[in-house]
Amino acid sequence: MTPDPISFAAGALAGPLLLLLAAAACLLLPLFLRSLRGTPGLIAVGAVLVALTFLRRAPEVQLSLFNGALLLSPLSVYLWAFVLAVLGLTALISIARPAAPEESTGEYYFLLFMASIGLMTLVAAGDLFTAFIALELLSLPVYALAGVKRSKPGLEAAYKYFMLGAFGSGMTIMGVAILNALYPALTFAALKGGTATPLALAGFLLVISGFAFKTALVPFHMWVPDAYEGAPTPVAAFMGAAVKAGGVIVLWRLFDIFDGGPVHRIFWWLAAITAITANLMALGQSGLKRLLAYSSVAHAGYMAIAFFGGQQGAQAVLYYLPVYAMATIGAFSVAAVLEKGEKGPQIEDLAGLAKARPWLAGAMAAFMFSLAGVPPLAGFFAKFYAFAGAVNSGNTGLVVIGVLMSAVSMYYYLKVTVAMYMKPAAGEHVYEAPGLAEGVIFLMAAGVLLAGVFSRPLLALAAQAARFF
Amino acid sequence: MTHFDLAGISFILFAAAAAGFLTCGSLVRMLMFLELMLNAANLALVALGPGAVSQGYAVMLFAIAAAEAGVGLALILSLASAFRTLDPGNIKELKG
Repeated sequence: MTPDPISFAAGALAGPLLLLLAAAACLLLPLFLRSLRGTPGLIAVGAVLVALTFLRRAPEVQLSLFNGALLLSPLSVYLWAFVLAVLGLTALISIARPAAPEESTGEYYFLLFMASIGLMTLVAAGDLFTAFIALELLSLPVYALAGVKRSKPGLEAAYKYFMLGAFGSGMTIMGVAILNALYPALTFAALKGGTATPLALAGFLLVISGFAFKTALVPFHMWVPDAYEGAPTPVAAFMGAAVKAGGVIVLWRLFDIFDGGPVHRIFWWLAAITAITANLMALGQSGLKRLLAYSSVAHAGYMAIAFFGGQQGAQAVLYYLPVYAMATIGAFSVAAVLEKGEKGPQIEDLAGLAKARPWLAGAMAAFMFSLAGVPPLAGFFAKFYAFAGAVNSGNTGLVVIGVLMSAVSMYYYLKVTVAMYMKPAAGEHVYEAPGLAEGVIFLMAAGVLLAGVFSRPLLALAAQAARFF
Repeated sequence: MTHFDLAGISFILFAAAAAGFLTCGSLVRMLMFLELMLNAANLALVALGPGAVSQGYAVMLFAIAAAEAGVGLALILSLASAFRTLDPGNIKELKG
């Protein structure tokens, strides 16, 4: 049964508001009640579970709230469920492997919640200025989260992310200011209806490059490897899975404003250069987190290829996001489990893992093969749908580049697997009883496998949501 | 001075701030150039934008610029105490 629009909108908006309350609770309660110290993680997970129950099946219409600033539809419900799931998983990993020092746990979850609220607003934003505000609400907490440990690598990661991210925001808002002068309104619908003069094109390019910084398309990716390597591992997982998704959705909406023309040509080049450069750069990496960082840049490129597939592409992107997020969160959790120093494990530290901890190695292999796109794992179908849409719309050249580059990517994903299964252990792997982090890892491994073997249900949800792009 | 002159000034200011950000070698100066970029955008919003909505946007942008300066300054303070330098060239724990 689908509810009527009003009660649906009220229920949906209760989700982010609840997160806001939970954020305040995480920050303030431990200050006043001594017995609640150390519980912000549990409050966080509980709040996410409650917020998930507020998500209902949306009516098959697009509700436009606050003068078109916020769009609620099956699409936003799908993406909000995705955001809440990523937030919950990040909180679970953070409980098992704390990313923040003891005294700032409350702040850590507060910032995580704020970033998630920003992301929820960003993916549902109906106009460019709302999208910009949401982008800032998403980015500012994540800058701080990257440096929450106040260790040298963390702070360096945070400042690199901050400087380039804020530079990107500056470009975005200048573009928004130009578009604001040329169009009667900043809603995506109004932008689609207007004619793009050269000055408007300049504005669009500024906005697109600003969001490309967040999505980490080459050549706007310089911050990614350092930020992912230096940031605490749960935060890196959140950045890879969630922050990128927000950028992808807005870039999609910007792409959708145009039918062909110079903007699509620019997206063509961005997608091609991203797929090529990121995969080639990943080949020489020896740190696991740096490897995952370059892999995340490459996957942004594949999603940009999917943009060209029209409706089929939208469906592919929506299927791609959770599939990619599962593999990324899983792989970063493995990095968190094996982490000894500040910068995460090297690939050679994984040697002999298959003997010492076979289940962990098996799960990691599943993530690597899913990211590489090996059937029957979900990553294969995600890539297949992404590329199929682009082929159907006649962008065969771009798809050839994408396929060739995912063949290249096989090399570095296999490097990890080979290290785990075929190399003798360099040092001792300490045996630990499986805990919460291992639970998350196995859940994600099951997810990549099941979403691949039984891809229908997720794909059907994605298809239903894609109609409201 | 018409509002087109103001818009011209805002474009020049934006270009100068972006160029300054990319060339200067100190974290504090980079932060100042970032704020200048946001202020240039604010000027363009007010000078060119139609009606009261743009003024509203500009006020919200003030708040965002302030928040950004807050996070940036906090980061720079922690960097200064951890690395004892404000030169981005000397902050090289990570390769890249």
